[in-house]
Amino acid sequence: MARWLGLALAIVLWEILARLNAGSFVIAGPIAVADYIYMNTGLLGRALGATFQAAVWGFLWGNLAACCLACLVVLFPRTERVVNVFALLVFCLPLVATGPILRVLYGPGAGPQITLAALAVYYTSYLALLVGLRAVPQSWMDLVQSYGRGSVTTLLQIRLRASVPYLIAALQIGAPVAFLGAMVGEFTGAERGLGVLTLRAMRGLDVDATWAIASIATAVSVLAFQVFGRLGDWLQTDRPTLLLSAAQTKNGPAAWQRVLTAAAIALLVVVVWQVLMDVFGLNRFFAKRPADVWTYLISGSNATAARETLFAALGQTLWLTFPGYFAGLLLGAGLAAAVVILPGVAAAILPVAVALRSVPIITTAPLIVLALGRGSLGTITIVAVMIFFPTLVACLQGLRQTPGQVHELFQTYAASRLRLLRLAQIPAMLPAFFAAARMAVPAALLAATTTEWLATGTGIGNLMALTASTSDYNMLWSAVVVLALIAMVFYMAVEVVEQKVLAVYASEQVRR
Amino acid sequence: MTRFTNLTRRSFLGSGAVAFGAASLGWRPAHAQATVNFQLSWLHSVQFGGSYIAQSKGYWDEAGLSVSLSPGGPNAPVEPPVVSGTALMGISAADYTAAAVEQGAPFKILAVAMQNNPFAIASLAKNPVLEPKDLIGKKIGMAVANTPVLQALCTINDIDINGIEIVPTQYDAAPLVSGQVDCLLSWATDLPVAMTLQGVENETMLMADYGYAVHSQTYIATEDSLKNRRDELVALLKGEVRGWNDYYADTDAAAALTVEMFPDAGLDLPTQKLQAERQVPLMFSDLTQEQGFGWFTDDTIAANIQTLGLLGREVSADLWDRSLLEEVHG
Repeated sequence: MARWLGLALAIVLWEILARLNAGSFVIAGPIAVADYIYMNTGLLGRALGATFQAAVWGFLWGNLAACCLACLVVLFPRTERVVNVFALLVFCLPLVATGPILRVLYGPGAGPQITLAALAVYYTSYLALLVGLRAVPQSWMDLVQSYGRGSVTTLLQIRLRASVPYLIAALQIGAPVAFLGAMVGEFTGAERGLGVLTLRAMRGLDVDATWAIASIATAVSVLAFQVFGRLGDWLQTDRPTLLLSAAQTKNGPAAWQRVLTAAAIALLVVVVWQVLMDVFGLNRFFAKRPADVWTYLISGSNATAARETLFAALGQTLWLTFPGYFAGLLLGAGLAAAVVILPGVAAAILPVAVALRSVPIITTAPLIVLALGRGSLGTITIVAVMIFFPTLVACLQGLRQTPGQVHELFQTYAASRLRLLRLAQIPAMLPAFFAAARMAVPAALLAATTTEWLATGTGIGNLMALTASTSDYNMLWSAVVVLALIAMVFYMAVEVVEQKVLAVYASEQVRR
Repeated sequence: MTRFTNLTRRSFLGSGAVAFGAASLGWRPAHAQATVNFQLSWLHSVQFGGSYIAQSKGYWDEAGLSVSLSPGGPNAPVEPPVVSGTALMGISAADYTAAAVEQGAPFKILAVAMQNNPFAIASLAKNPVLEPKDLIGKKIGMAVANTPVLQALCTINDIDINGIEIVPTQYDAAPLVSGQVDCLLSWATDLPVAMTLQGVENETMLMADYGYAVHSQTYIATEDSLKNRRDELVALLKGEVRGWNDYYADTDAAAALTVEMFPDAGLDLPTQKLQAERQVPLMFSDLTQEQGFGWFTDDTIAANIQTLGLLGREVSADLWDRSLLEEVHG
């Protein structure tokens, strides 16, 4: 009931907003949208078919890759560092850099769209799954061990089952992201699809079409979100169990060991980068190798000027990314808590939240810019909107992981909902929250650079967009490297906090 | 320069075997393909009407060439596929090509479709920009990346660019129509056409009319292709010339053909017709009447070199190579 009320309210608000902005050509209301869809069913249907197909394939491949990576790390914990680094780096690659490479590799067809959809989902799923695979009680592990079985049995018998709720949350987050990834993938020179139509509509000043396409994208995403939610309810019949595990006090590896590991991984990254590009025979004109970036930024004759340009732009970008990141995390976690205290709200909020995340940013950016301006407020808002959703979903799922026995204990004492939230649910949510905080790091950087490209014309996002017309691929790849390094440092900082907190609240996550 | 082996083509279409290195399954040597790829610079539209005519009337078939027209997009720059050899020829512009050559790409400009640069200042009829000095005190919406273009226009016409406020916008007429800016830097053939068809009265000031001489929609290929695949390039250009001559004879037919050939591209006939019409003065001039479609002279090259210099691109006349065009028209 509340769900339908919320939806109806959202639609009415939307129509009012559209009426207020009539003539501005940035928003069309639901009535105009419905009319456009009715008049262009064939065209939209074919485009939806093309984009949907690419999104589904990308979703499958991306999640398959995430499962493989997560299982690999659980079976061979030593690989975790390396896998984490590569997973993060690949996720950091911007469309301006990957677009031309994918198109040259695949030629015409849906290859780039599928790949970009897969790239958009695998990272979130990987991080969420890894947390899930570790959310198992020590006693069960001991039991398996006492029967003389090894890590494979543990994985198959215990960990996989424990990871199901986390996997479901990942699939829910991934569905809209895959669809958007497929749409954006069409910007690399596709023949058909909703992304192609969006470009056409925006340039044609056809707001009805732009918003009709956005509405379709949103509807598909909300639907997928609901389907996976139902699937989760159906799969998870038993209550979450108590994960009793002793707090960790053991110290990590020594400082010199960490430095050595980091250096080894950096070397591996450089080698893999070089070898992959060579193996695929990618032309050095647009697929720059590590040595090119080194020359351009460090040893070349114009290196100082290049660094100055790059770091000035980077400063502008980070200035907007951090507030957006924290605003998004806070909003996501706060909404999740609100939903738990007032369960009735959940049904109304969630569809709107999914909708907000599934509307293509190129459609909403002009509206946000019109409302909030091209200054920092607009950018920070866009960044926050783009990252609050995964946090919300992950935290909600985390809150639900509160063990049933703990619930009962609180009920016995007639504790208030707020008290239950503070003392039991939030601690249970922490692993999921930190996973969300980590996955939001590269997402926030991507969001900030996209906004810069679309709305503000500043920062590293603009610098990278510029390279498309100037063929300055040295600058592009240098920007990619610097952004990836920033993401890595930022990620590690979050991880340090996480390890400290989880060592107390969820030590099964930090056990190595 | 050695040409690299081409990866994956249709063998891969629709299949999901893509992500994470699976691409290597599709290896295939380049010469196994009978079709040559022609990389367009944007999504399908009547902007490439002449090429569609050449395709549908079989002008390339007659020359023994099978051509595949690849659309571009916001994240599909033309230069990488042409450098890699996955496309034999591409549609670029003199400023893009000059930048790419500066970065080491061995390109030559073979022919020029747009004699006059399509960049224009679009404004609303009630607050028009009709000549460069009208820009002073105005807010202009554009991609910041295009600042050198505006700078060049200002230099040529002796205007202080500091008197103009640049507002970064997407390539979209909405900021102008909703009053966020006073004018836009756009092509004369797309955003103004969209406004006209939406009933928004507007004015366009073509930059080419005020000294901005940069060849646009230029045909580029690598030096290696010029040497080793000359016959194919000549055949490709021959078909283009024939197609564009037909286009000139009947732009409405070209628009209709475009809409018919690409039913999934979301094109509408009135827009395509108006765009086709507005393209004519950019592509056809006294020079092309006399010498044929795509022609350029030492004088137009010199004018280009001068404007490109203002854009910060130092190029020589070697960037252009007219020998193929002479063969085509000869």
